[in-house]
Amino acid sequence: MEAKPLTRVEGEGTLKLILKDDLVQDVVLNIFEPPRFFESILKGKRFEVIPDITARICGICPVAYQMSGIQAVESVFNVKVSKEVEDLRRLFYYGEWIHSHAIHVFFMHLPDFLGLSSFFEFLKLNPDLSKKALFIKQTGRKILEVIGGRDVHPVTVCVGGFTHFPKDEEIKSLIPSLEKSYDYSLEILDFLSTLNFPQHLLPEDILFVSLKEEDHYPILKGKIYLSTGVGLDKDEFLKYFYEFEKPHSTAKYSKTKDGKTYIVGPIARFNNSFDNLTENSKKIALKYGVKPVERNMSKTIIVRVIEILDSIERSIELINLYQKNSLKNEKYEVSEGEGTGVSEAPRGILWHYYKINSNGLIEKANIIPPTSQNQSVMEELLRKNLTNKELKDESTLISYGEYIVRDFDPCISCATHFLKIDKLNLDNR
Amino acid sequence: MRVGIFKFSSCDGCQLSFINLSGELAELENFSIDYFLEGQSVNNYEYFDFSFVEGSVSTTEEIERIKDIRERSKVLVGIGACAVSGGVQSIRNFRNIDDIKTVYNTVDITKNVLENALPISQVVKVDFEIRGCPVSTDVVKDFINSILIGKSPHNYNYPVCLECKRRGNICLLVLNKPCLGPITTAGCNALCPSVNRGCYGCFGPYKDANIEAFYNLFKEKGWGIRDFIENSLNPYNHLFVEKLWKQNL
Repeated sequence: MEAKPLTRVEGEGTLKLILKDDLVQDVVLNIFEPPRFFESILKGKRFEVIPDITARICGICPVAYQMSGIQAVESVFNVKVSKEVEDLRRLFYYGEWIHSHAIHVFFMHLPDFLGLSSFFEFLKLNPDLSKKALFIKQTGRKILEVIGGRDVHPVTVCVGGFTHFPKDEEIKSLIPSLEKSYDYSLEILDFLSTLNFPQHLLPEDILFVSLKEEDHYPILKGKIYLSTGVGLDKDEFLKYFYEFEKPHSTAKYSKTKDGKTYIVGPIARFNNSFDNLTENSKKIALKYGVKPVERNMSKTIIVRVIEILDSIERSIELINLYQKNSLKNEKYEVSEGEGTGVSEAPRGILWHYYKINSNGLIEKANIIPPTSQNQSVMEELLRKNLTNKELKDESTLISYGEYIVRDFDPCISCATHFLKIDKLNLDNR
Repeated sequence: MRVGIFKFSSCDGCQLSFINLSGELAELENFSIDYFLEGQSVNNYEYFDFSFVEGSVSTTEEIERIKDIRERSKVLVGIGACAVSGGVQSIRNFRNIDDIKTVYNTVDITKNVLENALPISQVVKVDFEIRGCPVSTDVVKDFINSILIGKSPHNYNYPVCLECKRRGNICLLVLNKPCLGPITTAGCNALCPSVNRGCYGCFGPYKDANIEAFYNLFKEKGWGIRDFIENSLNPYNHLFVEKLWKQNL
């Protein structure tokens, strides 16, 4: 394996429409977020910086970077953390799922269904429900702060465990807000079920790729599972998938080695691991009209709320088991070698690879984030929905394209207005 | 008050403080967010009383863009380590750019990339800076409150140690753990020392830090300061490294 590019995970891009006689002929998703070269800047630094530096790839999902990264280092050093430490990491990660999903559902995705410009407008339109939405987001944030010190770029994750374990009462104090958030999420689902869901259908032959965990809906670790039934070990990632560059994009693309397009993220997890949702979550999903195999990307807003509910239920279980005095960090010795780590970031599987030398210095790094894996399918779905559309009204076409992109919760959707139409008229070439 | 929130090369983490404050901001009468790509799809790019800028300037396009924002802004505020001192991108400022670029095989992709990731103050005049990687939502809230009532924002030009004392932490240096608290700007409420970890300097150096004394302390303890810097604060603060390197460590 060799050090491969780190791709852009958020920021800016354009949608290029190729037109003939004002009919869309082709679509190119153009991501031009400045490259930040994480894999290069990690080289030569000590392994301890991995949770700190890779967290800075994304302010909305730093814990995902810390979890995949630390797993990779622990693989190199052959460290196996205790069940209790693993549970605390899981709870920490649920905090990020709740927080990140709430941001996407309410701030990025919901305004599209209502024809609004922003969540700020929703706050004025429906103050009651929007305050409940903010409460859910804040609950996720609180978990992150109690375990990680702060919500963005938390500071406590280290090889073998955590620098600090919260007191029992700090962890238990999270329960009332979680319970309230559970009820609020159900109210949100009631509201969402009154909306129209446009048909943003994924192609029939798409592969759903997500992790599989035995007793849980996947989040922290596990085999990489393809909807064809293949299960891969985390070390085999590059045997089945490959990244490639296109000149118009600083984010890389990914496909399977045999050229198939795949998708990661909530819809893949939901379709592959529906059975591992809690009994309550399963019932709620069916009640609100989502079940495997779901192919409509606009329904991912429902799937995300189901994942919030599932995370809340699992969090409460873990909190009830929590006992500070049962926690202990695993000891380790620095040794040379290679290792990989993979976990489910809110937007899909995030894979890390490191080669570390006997002094603990990083020799090679390779990070494959979910957004680059979804870039191919995002572009295909845009092409499918926009080709042959007539360019009568630019802003309608832009909004439509943006809507589809936001279904994916790409980190680049951080710039909600990232699709500016760049017309390339074939007639004038 | 017309407000713009902008992003340059960064992780989006500092802008999250505005998302966190959205409930409170929506209730303000004289506070209109005209431009905020992360938060809204209808944006008005004209003139701003206050512009908040996240991120470092790291491509030729970004130089032009920050200049244009400056021209349209009465007051420009840099938020976070990237804007203030280059941030994590600025690690490359101390490396060979051609090696750094090997991340991409296609040369075309990186042709507009600057050799150094710059703090915005190296390109345009900056009126205020809010430190942190990321900035603290409470500090941003306090800043907005201050400007709304026409008072100068709180000046954090004192070290993390003061916040540590206020929280009643035992000094990590006394416990023989490397910690950058004594030379780092406060504002995080002594985050790391409170969770059993030495400060790694993500808020950057404070102006009047006694770096010589700090260096001598490291020498006395037998800790390699250069290694510590390389593996801790370097990622977040170009400023820090420059300041310390000048001491000929």
